[in-house]
Formats: sequence, C-alpha cells, structure tokens
Amino acid sequence: MEEQVGQIWDRLITRVAKQGYAKAAVTLDQVKGPLGVFFRALGGDSALRVTATTATLHKARRNWLQRVAGSGRKVELAWQDETCLYLPAQLDVFPDRQLNRDLYFWLAAMAGARVPAEVHQSRNWIVDNQQRTLHTLRQFQGLHPRYLSLVQAYIALRPEPERLKPEAAAMEQAIQQALIQPGSVTALPEARFAPDPVALWLHPDPPRSAGLLNSDDAQDRNASKGQTRQTQQRRRQAERVEKPEEQGFTMGVRHEADLFSFAEFSKMDRATDEEDNLDQAENIANDIDKMSVAQDNTTVASRIKFDLDLPSEQEDDIPLSEGVLYPEWDFKKDQLLPNQCRIIPMMSRNAVDCELPDHLQKPARRLRRQFESLSARPQWIRGQYEGDKLDLDAYLDYRGAIASSGSAHAGDPRLYYQKRPLIRDMACLLLADLSLSTDAWVNDTSQVIDVIRDSVHLFAESLHASGDQFAIHGFSSRRREHVRFNCIKDFNENYDARVRGRIADISPGFYTRMGAAIRHATDLLGKQPAQKKLLLLLTDGKPNDLDRYEGRYGVEDTRKAILEARNQGLIPFCITIDEEANQYLPYLFGHQGYTFIRQAEQLPKRLPQLYMTLTGKLLGG
Amino acid sequence: MSAVTQLDKKEELPFYEPQGDEIELFMHAYEHKLPVLIKGPTGCGKTRFISHMAEKLNLPLYTVACHDDLSASDLVGRHLIGDGATVWSDGPLTRAVREGGICYLDEVVEARKDTTVVIHPLTDDRRILPIDRTGEILHAPDNFMLVVSYNPGYQNLLKGMKPSTRQRFLSMSFDYLPAPAEVEVLINETNVDKAMAQRLVVLANTLRELKDQDLEEGASTRLLVYTATLINTGFDPVKACRAGMIEPLTDDPDIVAGLMELVQAAFGSAEA
Ligand SMILES: Nc1ncnc2c1ncn2[C@@H]1O[C@H](COP(=O)(O)OP(=O)(O)OP(=O)(O)O)[C@@H](O)[C@H]1O
Ligand SMILES: [Mg+2]
Repeated sequence: MEEQVGQIWDRLITRVAKQGYAKAAVTLDQVKGPLGVFFRALGGDSALRVTATTATLHKARRNWLQRVAGSGRKVELAWQDETCLYLPAQLDVFPDRQLNRDLYFWLAAMAGARVPAEVHQSRNWIVDNQQRTLHTLRQFQGLHPRYLSLVQAYIALRPEPERLKPEAAAMEQAIQQALIQPGSVTALPEARFAPDPVALWLHPDPPRSAGLLNSDDAQDRNASKGQTRQTQQRRRQAERVEKPEEQGFTMGVRHEADLFSFAEFSKMDRATDEEDNLDQAENIANDIDKMSVAQDNTTVASRIKFDLDLPSEQEDDIPLSEGVLYPEWDFKKDQLLPNQCRIIPMMSRNAVDCELPDHLQKPARRLRRQFESLSARPQWIRGQYEGDKLDLDAYLDYRGAIASSGSAHAGDPRLYYQKRPLIRDMACLLLADLSLSTDAWVNDTSQVIDVIRDSVHLFAESLHASGDQFAIHGFSSRRREHVRFNCIKDFNENYDARVRGRIADISPGFYTRMGAAIRHATDLLGKQPAQKKLLLLLTDGKPNDLDRYEGRYGVEDTRKAILEARNQGLIPFCITIDEEANQYLPYLFGHQGYTFIRQAEQLPKRLPQLYMTLTGKLLGG
Repeated sequence: MSAVTQLDKKEELPFYEPQGDEIELFMHAYEHKLPVLIKGPTGCGKTRFISHMAEKLNLPLYTVACHDDLSASDLVGRHLIGDGATVWSDGPLTRAVREGGICYLDEVVEARKDTTVVIHPLTDDRRILPIDRTGEILHAPDNFMLVVSYNPGYQNLLKGMKPSTRQRFLSMSFDYLPAPAEVEVLINETNVDKAMAQRLVVLANTLRELKDQDLEEGASTRLLVYTATLINTGFDPVKACRAGMIEPLTDDPDIVAGLMELVQAAFGSAEA
C-alpha cells in the first residue's frame, strides 16, 4: 500500500504540474489572511502558521521532497505538521476562480476539522480521506453545498472510467465514488499502477509519517523531530536559526543559551544547599534533553563560542559610562543583593542617520495621522474666572448660593470654561529585548529582530506624532557584570534621523537579564515629571542569562523589579511574542499586565495600536 | 431549568440564568449592607443580574452608565433653572440614598476621578453622602445598596480601580455562561429554536477562543441575543451572523473574511 501511495503521489505531482488554468489561478498570498483566521477558528491548532508548500522546498523537507517528488519537482498539496499548515502556493485546478478559492478553504477545513485519533492521513489514503471528509462535513454543515460543487467540477476534470483500461477504470471508479459518497469505499482496488491524484484530499504521505524512511531520511527525520520538539517548547527562546545549506539538511534551530547554561551547571559548584540542587536538577534535565538534540550536529560547540564572544572594543557599541550598579533579588535567600549587576549604557557605533525604510512609509503615514489627533484634541477646563463659554452648572450653583444665603457675595464666581490644547501628561519608555533569541526566524523572510526593528520604527513615528514624551532603549546581557543598555532615544532627545539610524542599527545581542534592565528603565522613567508613566517591555521570551539567572531565579528577580516599578507609580506592561508567555507572564506582570501577539509579523502594526488602547482613555481622567 | 423559568415568569422577574452562587452572595451582601463590585466582560449578564436582583429584593434600581465625562455632580445632583429661580435637583445616587434602592454604576472605571470622593464615604461603615453644594449630609437607609461594575481587560489598565476603592467592595467575577446555560438564555430571550441556539453558541465559543490573537474581544451573550433575534424574525442566518457577531468584533477585512468563511461553513444554506 505504501508503495502505491508513493506512486499516486508521484502522479499527482506530475498531474498538478501539467494541469491547471492559469487564468483562474488563486494564490495563497491572496487568501492567506482570511484562511489563517478560518483555520484557527475551525479549531485548527492556533500555533500553526499557514505557509506555502513551495516555501518549504529550501527547508527541512528537501530529502523528503526528493524522495516523493523526484528531484527538483514542485510539490503542492496540503498537509500540516507541528508548526505549519502547508498549502499550495497557488491553486489553478479549476477553470473558475471561485472554485479555486473554495478549494483553499476546503483544504484548510479538512486540515482544521477535529477528527478522531484513528483517522491518520497516511494509514490508508483513500479511507482516511473519506473519513476526514465526513467529519469535516458533519462539523460544518454549511460546507455541504461547497463540497458538492467542488466535487462536481472536479469529477468533470478527472478521466472518465469508461475510457480507461479495466484496471485503471476500477480504481478511478472507486475514487470518484469516494468523492461523491464519502465513506462508501473501503479499499482501493488492487492495480499495478497508481490512480490519478485527488486535489480535494490531503497529502497522501505527509512528512511526519515514518513508515517509508530509508536510513538517510531517518537521520534527517531525527533532526527535524528534534527541531519540532524544541520549536514546540520554546520556539523563540534563545534560538539561532541558520539558513539551510545547499547540500543536505542542517538542523535549523539551536539553543545556545540553554546549552551553555547546561555547561555552566555542570561546572557549577554542586555543593550548595539541597533545594538548590533540586531546582538545578530540573534545569539540567531539560538541558540534557536539548543537548541530545544538539548532538545531531557536531558544529554546535564551536559556534557557541563564537556567539558568545563580545565584539572587539573597536567594533562594539560605545559604552557611555563605566556603568551603574543595581541590586538583584535572590529568592532563595529572600533578599536583595546589593550591587549585583552592572548596567552599561551604550550607544551604537555604526548607526548612520537615515529615513524611515520604504516599506514602513505607508503605515507610518496612517499612524501619524491617527496619533496627531490625540494631541490636537482640545480640552475644556472648568472653574475659570473668565473664559470661552459659561459653565451653566457653576452659574446655577452660584445663583443658588446667593438666593439661599441672601448675600450677593456668597458662592464662587468661577463660572467659565476655558478651551485649552490638551496636554497628555504622559511619559513612556519602551524597553526592547535585544537578546540572542531575537535572531530566530518568524517566517521565511524575516527574523524576530527585523520585526522588533520595524515595530520600534513605527512606535517612534506614532509617539512623535502624539506629542507624548518617550524614550526607547534596548537591552541584552552577558552575566551580571555586563548588562548592555542600548540607548536608542533618550527622553530629552528629539526624534530625528539620528534616532532612526540607531533603530535601523538594532541587532541581536546576548542574554536576557530582565531585572537589571527594568530597574534601570524604572530609574530613567521615574525621573520624568509626567503624571502617568508607562513602562513597555517588548520581548520574545523569558529572563535568562549564562549564570543562575536561568529559570526560577531570573523570573523571581524580574518579578521583583516589576513590583518595584509599580511601587514607584509606574505602569509596567509587557508585549510578548513568546508562545509560552502565559506560563510565566501572569506571574510577572499580572493577568492584565501583558499581551501576547501570536503572529510576530503583526507586531509592528499592533504595537502602536496597543499604545493607543492603553493610553487613549486617559483623557477623561 | 424550566422550573426556574416558570417561577421567574410567575413573579415577573427579569429572566436570569445564574452562573454560580451569585444570587445568594448578593442577598447576603444586601442584608449586611455591603457594597458589591461585579467584574466581567461586556454583555455577560451583569446588568441583567442587577435588574433581576432589584426585582427580587423589591427595590428601585438607579442605573448610571459611566463614561469618561461623568463627574461627581452627575451622580450627586446640581442646580437647575426653575421657575424664575434656581432649583436643586438630585442626581441618581442622591435619589437612591434618600429613597432607598440599588444604585448601580456600570463601567465605573470610566467615570472621572472626582466620583470616588462621593463613593468612598458611602462604602464604609459611615454610609453617608455629603452634598457639598447644598451642605447636606445624607445617611443611607438600610435598604440602600451600592453596586459597581467594570470590565477588567488590559484596555482598562491605566484606568484600573485604585486598591483603596476596590477594597471597599465585595467582589464577584462574571464570565460568559457555559454552553448549555447560554443556549437556554438564547431560547428564553428570543424564542429561537434549540438547534439554532446551539449552533450560535458553538460559533460564539469559537470566536471567544480567538480572543487575544485575532480578536480583541470575544462575542458577548448580548451579541448572540441580537443575532438570534434577527434569525428568529426570518433573517438569513449567515447575514445575521455577519451583522450580529462578526462585524461588531473587528474592522480588519482579512479577519472578517476568514470569520465569514467560518460562518458559511457553520450556517451555509441548503443542507445536502
Ligand atoms: N445569565 C443571563 N441570564 C439571562 N440573560 C442573560 C444572561 N447573560 C446575558 N444575558 C443576555 O445578554 C444581554 C446582555 O447582558 P447585560 O446587558 O446584562 O450585559 P452586561 O454584562 O451588563 O454588559 P456590559 O458590560 O456591556 O454592560 C442581556 O440583555 C440578556 O439578554
Ligand atoms: Mg451592562
């Protein structure tokens, strides 16, 4: 059977390549947005991204693709794995655009519908796809008419059984019946060759099925399994993703940070108190787990070293001072250890003045318009001795007081409103996590750091337009002695080409000692005279560093730093793209103190909106 | 279920489907003259609960929908122009304190800050309302009760209630009802048939799952009621869902398109 499925697949590909109505083609890009929403709403795993199958060619799938499709041939049919829903980059099966579009949604529904565990895509291709079809239609009755019109149009495109040789005819007959009456065909008739492929069904042999692997593939398989596991656990935490190389497949995702902390742990003095050991044991277990993943590839060790070296002094950013010492919270001792961390304010060395990148011009224009209206709104101040209009309330109170006391001098004659431009008494410091993990890829074209850069650009544009006071800083760390605090824009600096240059120069640094960075940010923001002070933290993961800052220690210290900020009257708020955020951010920021943006690509658009939502309502107070 | 409904109908209470033990808690609060704070997302039945309780306790209900322009004098009262002279006119809070009853401040965090000044002395054991403008000090009668509500999303982060205000209230948290109960609500409110009510509730819960990723807020019970009302009067379900449950939740055209595909899938016409 497997053998046969492979052949079917082969034919399918050939056929998909041959057939097609280019004029009626619908591309995935055209429907991707709605399709993703649809797929998630159907109950499809919301962590999945919708991706074109072709986009995976250069990724981990290469060997598999070669195996199934023959080298170099494009494969375009739907399947999903643990991270993505793969759909054809373009569908031109039908001569009618609407049908091609409907087919996208049908495939997404097939992939997203909840099916019982026994329906596996590759156990028995024809049976499983019928089952899936049935389950999908049962859950979403509204899909019936669409399915029918798809089937009708599709069967018209398939070979007529009468014209085929008996063997082929029987097979084609079975498939057509399975399409028309899903569930009615229990097996594919035996034949020496494979039937024509079925565009309405899912991939006959998705890459996660293990049955067909030869030993070469098995190796890749392990690697990609490892990758997936990591991806699930901490997709963007301290990952460095490498572009795959031409020859074969290199594992794409790695955890230098974790590996190193493992190395640290193993070197570490184990003779600490028992509690310590328990905690660490857990960490070590996790790290060993990841270590085994990394063992697949021998270059890891050498690359780690490279990652961790600081740039030479001539190349590195310019330190602005010797640094400032901050305490750190040791939750085991339950005390604040004084002078633990050194914050080193730094200024980018290579930044060149620049304008806003082209691709942000359009959104920036829109945001500027929106944010300008924040400051342009006038405010009426009541209780004035003179002004632009009479405050009737005050006037009546005044008359009332005079009438009841009988004296012309009773009451308060502040009877006017004055119109004044509104001053939003608001200061915001944006603190961006620039740790190593921001080096990870969010999709095929951009890395987390790119997304953060764009977000910071648009944020700056928006706040500049709003007239609110703001500062932007980045941070990353390499143990407690070296917490880099990258100055992008100070409160007293103007927003201009220089600042844009520094934003453009943002790049991934080292680790994530959040506590120290928050304490320093708190100091800077605390000094501002504004009435409301918002401390926005933009991050992609948990606190971590090379030393014990990993794990609970870092979380507890960060929490302490946030509480301190709150006690100073600041309002801390966190925006994260870490999928595991809900496991620790409520503890750090409180349930209402953070928001998780699932699609990192959305961050640039969402960040200014979020600022608007957070502060827009301030006016009334 | 139907027993409760009948009982409600007989006593002409506004229909209310309880979430938990909130009715009992509320009764106790009233008995012991304690103010109550209700938290919960929009359209989950807070207002309905209060009107139900007011009927049940046979108290007049003074509801104030707070907004960002609402000031203390909107609650307490002001001078108005009367017959050639100025006349003092009580605000809803003052009226409730004078005459007894429930004063319900909906979305209290929206109100201006000066409102807390009048709320505080009413919520501790003094239970008084000083009216600066007339120099009066009112003592709240036993049958006066203050109830406030708000929706604790992050949108309200900067506006959130101060702990000193918050801690003056007994608090209860509301959420959208579990599916079977919400189905009952729909049937009761709109007479929609059970199968349709169930499908609508499934759709609503699907949308609620998308909160914080594709949607800022999930679909409220209120929107469900609207949609069911439309459908029940013969409106096409797909169009009703669009107007009642999709468009109110987002302005993003991609998200609307994707969710409409979902609605199509769930409600598309012509069962095969
Ligand atoms: N538990 C319930 N029992 C009966 N009806 C309910 C219940 N919950 C919600 N409803 C229905 O939903 C509608 C909206 O509820 P309600 O006005 O009480 O919401 P709310 O929580 O006050 O919302 P908001 O915060 O927007 O004011 C009600 O008119 C009623 O039809
Ligand atoms: Mg209400």
